[in-house]
Amino acid sequence: MDERLYDLIFICRPATPEEEVDKLVSTLEHAAAERSAKVEKVEKWGARKMAYRVHRHREGYYVLLVLRGSHGDVIHELERRLKVNDAVIKYMTVRLDEDLKRQKHLAQRRERKAARRPRGGRSHGHAPAPGGGGEQQPAAAQQ
Amino acid sequence: MADDTQKDTQSQAHKANDARPAEPAPAAPAAAPPPSDAPRAPEGRPPEGRPRDDRPHGPRGEGGRGGEGRGGEGRGPREGGREGGKRGRRGFYRKKKVCRFCVDRVDFIDYKKPEQLTQFIQERGKIVPRRITGTCSRHQRWLAEAIKRARNIALLPFGGAR
Repeated sequence: MDERLYDLIFICRPATPEEEVDKLVSTLEHAAAERSAKVEKVEKWGARKMAYRVHRHREGYYVLLVLRGSHGDVIHELERRLKVNDAVIKYMTVRLDEDLKRQKHLAQRRERKAARRPRGGRSHGHAPAPGGGGEQQPAAAQQ
Repeated sequence: MADDTQKDTQSQAHKANDARPAEPAPAAPAAAPPPSDAPRAPEGRPPEGRPRDDRPHGPRGEGGRGGEGRGGEGRGPREGGREGGKRGRRGFYRKKKVCRFCVDRVDFIDYKKPEQLTQFIQERGKIVPRRITGTCSRHQRWLAEAIKRARNIALLPFGGAR
């Protein structure tokens, strides 16, 4: 099975002390490690304004974890822990590996296309042909 | 033959009918000076007479135009649009919208950057349709997904005033 990549974002109450957030993150990392998943990145965005009120809070302390694992059970466990924790007011997990795979595929295809037709790749598709030709010819002459 | 003659007579009658209003019309201006001379008693007549004679014309003309106008309310704008389009080629030049994501060669729209997504939502949080932004269908799909994800985690509003 392919490795999966997840974004796990959760929001704590803005009044939560920093140590508590760190503690929560470390417990999540442990829980992930138990289920053979790795936390690749931890980003603490800090307190920021939310777009709408959540549990009567207008601000929240955002934390992002990037997880790599081969099984969805990890997510189940981590979300359970977040649900239990009182400091956490919102959380969301997004599976990203498929999007990234698509992204990679597209980038590769573009490179291949560019390699086939370097000129076509450079000039804008919507630019009028004569303009593009005019640009290309001097370039060729210079070369 | 009889039918033909009838038709002829009918057509003649029609012609006569058509001609009738035409006659009074020139007659009316001719008659116009007299009322000014003698406006007391016949005052009512010439004004009334004109409308009566003209009405067959007027209602027809107006009715025809009006009918087109009313019935054409559905059509009207379209026709106007066509005309506008013809004019559009000469007069207004509509700039062709280009997908901004295609220009920048974007392969993945990140939901974690609400600053970039706010350009594509309306004031009340609606996703701006692509007929307005010019985004291509593929990028609009990705964009919509990113916006929805961002909404879920309170980076973007679902809508409504705060």
